Amino acid sequence: MFTRGTLIYVAQRIVLIGFTVLVVSSVVFLGIHRLPGDALFSEKLRGQQYQVLLHHYGLDQPLYVQYRDFVVGVVTRGDLGESLVNRGLKITPLVLRETAVSAEVGALALIFTIGLGMVFGIFAAVRQNTWLDYVLTTTSVIGYSVPNFVIAAFLILLFGVWLQNLTQGAFFYQLGAWTGGLGQLWLPAFALGFPYASIVARLTRASMLEVIRQDYIRTARAKGLRETVIMVRHALRNALIPVITILGPLVIGIITGSVVIENFFGIPGLGKEFAQSILNRDYAIVIGVFTMYAALVGLANLLVDLAYVVIDPRIRY
Amino acid sequence: MATAAVAIVRPLELEQASLWSDAWRRLRRNRLALVASIYLVLLVVVALVALVYTPFRMSAVGVAATYSPPSAAHLLGADELGRDILSRLMVGAQVSLIVGVGTQLLVLAVGVPIGLAAGYYKGWFDSVVSFVINVFYGVPDILVAMIMVFLLGPSLTNIIIAIVVTRWMDMARLVRGQALSIREREFVEAARASGARPLKMLFGHILPNALGPIIVQATFGIPSAILFEAFLSFLGVGVQPPTPSWGSMANEGVQAIQYAPHMVIAPSIALSLTLMAFNFLGDGLRDALDPRSRR
Repeated sequence: MFTRGTLIYVAQRIVLIGFTVLVVSSVVFLGIHRLPGDALFSEKLRGQQYQVLLHHYGLDQPLYVQYRDFVVGVVTRGDLGESLVNRGLKITPLVLRETAVSAEVGALALIFTIGLGMVFGIFAAVRQNTWLDYVLTTTSVIGYSVPNFVIAAFLILLFGVWLQNLTQGAFFYQLGAWTGGLGQLWLPAFALGFPYASIVARLTRASMLEVIRQDYIRTARAKGLRETVIMVRHALRNALIPVITILGPLVIGIITGSVVIENFFGIPGLGKEFAQSILNRDYAIVIGVFTMYAALVGLANLLVDLAYVVIDPRIRY
Repeated sequence: MATAAVAIVRPLELEQASLWSDAWRRLRRNRLALVASIYLVLLVVVALVALVYTPFRMSAVGVAATYSPPSAAHLLGADELGRDILSRLMVGAQVSLIVGVGTQLLVLAVGVPIGLAAGYYKGWFDSVVSFVINVFYGVPDILVAMIMVFLLGPSLTNIIIAIVVTRWMDMARLVRGQALSIREREFVEAARASGARPLKMLFGHILPNALGPIIVQATFGIPSAILFEAFLSFLGVGVQPPTPSWGSMANEGVQAIQYAPHMVIAPSIALSLTLMAFNFLGDGLRDALDPRSRR
């Protein structure tokens, strides 16, 4: 499955990802630093004090020096600088901590997406043109039409408000401060994953329908294999290949969707930080978080490409 | 001479008309698409009516008790400042439709020529275009749009520009693919042999034959742009107050979800129904214009 060629391929890709991240963050860095004013400027600091702070952040240097320092800092020390609003707050550890939180939510959302999507898709295909198929197909159109924050709002109404009143608080979704427990995690993850689960379901259904009409499935039936074995061992594996192709856009979708969901639920992850620092005009954090996102998207795409190799033995790098 | 020209042109016109009328017949038979179209026509009417009449002024504060639930005077209740939610919903429909249709018109203007040229001429231009498209697919669109709106300033025009910048590739890629296959057909060869100029070639011969998929793609692009704007407004970097957007209304509703659920329900349903209607219409158009792709 994985050969030396794979290793070389992965190494090449990682170099390419590093290069892309550098280019993307440079564009954002230069774009933002062209703007007049900054977070310091808005505090109406005067004279000496303002000059000291400007110097502290290197903002009194010409742009190319600032840019050089930024790139050197990122490349040699992985240092993304310091927050402009919360003085002394180092961005790199902050971003890494938040990435861990976002990754937790995102991973659970991905499990929901693929798990639900495949189960729905398989059942719809196996029971083609029955009421089950129609219900699942219609649900999936609704699923990808409804925005994730609308799903989240209705789930909160259901589990956080109505069910709380109904069961006198015996069973409800805990709103409020984020503790990171699974009890708080499942709802945001579900809201984040559901729209994409619909897309996976549609795709799984379509490709299953195509695969189960093929000769080797008939052969398997003729051999007298049980239907479940045929579906899971023979059909599903081949039906998965087109599904894998949308994994890349799917992961990017979950990453961008998490910006909305994290702000909705007050999850202290990358997405919340990104929106907050844009509203706070904390340019340094905006650049840092965006750099992290670019790296994450690159790595996610690499992992998806490696998943091809696992599913489809014909593919080698 | 003139009569000869007419004689050649007329049968072609008849053929084309029958393709489109076939599609129209298939679309009318699709009940979901029909219901969706009726909903969308009503939505456009509501948005137009909101230009001259809303039950209350959308920005008028305190026309009802704050957070008051739906009543006879205020059919959808009032928000945290005592503004009439129905009036704000109607104006929000304008914002959504302008963003949805506006972005798709711009996406057409950008994506179609680029895709046509890349697919028809191939070679280095196609390589460059394909590379740029892949780069754009690799960056998370909402994040880029947020930064752009932040850099340019949050106005409706800038939001539309930001969405177009992060979404033009879908159309360009589709048109490129169409052009790549259409350029190999005999009638293109015939046109080339008879000395058609490049512009006539691209827009007179290739484009009309790719029109079906383009219309379908543009229809699916509208809800995705509306959703995009709702996301931006939900995060506070979209349309600025006092102009209402369904996204920002939902955001205000979420803050009050425990004691005034009607605030989040109204814009959520409006948004979901609209997105669903466009998606159903897109599905219907796809089945009608391209019978081979029927599921």
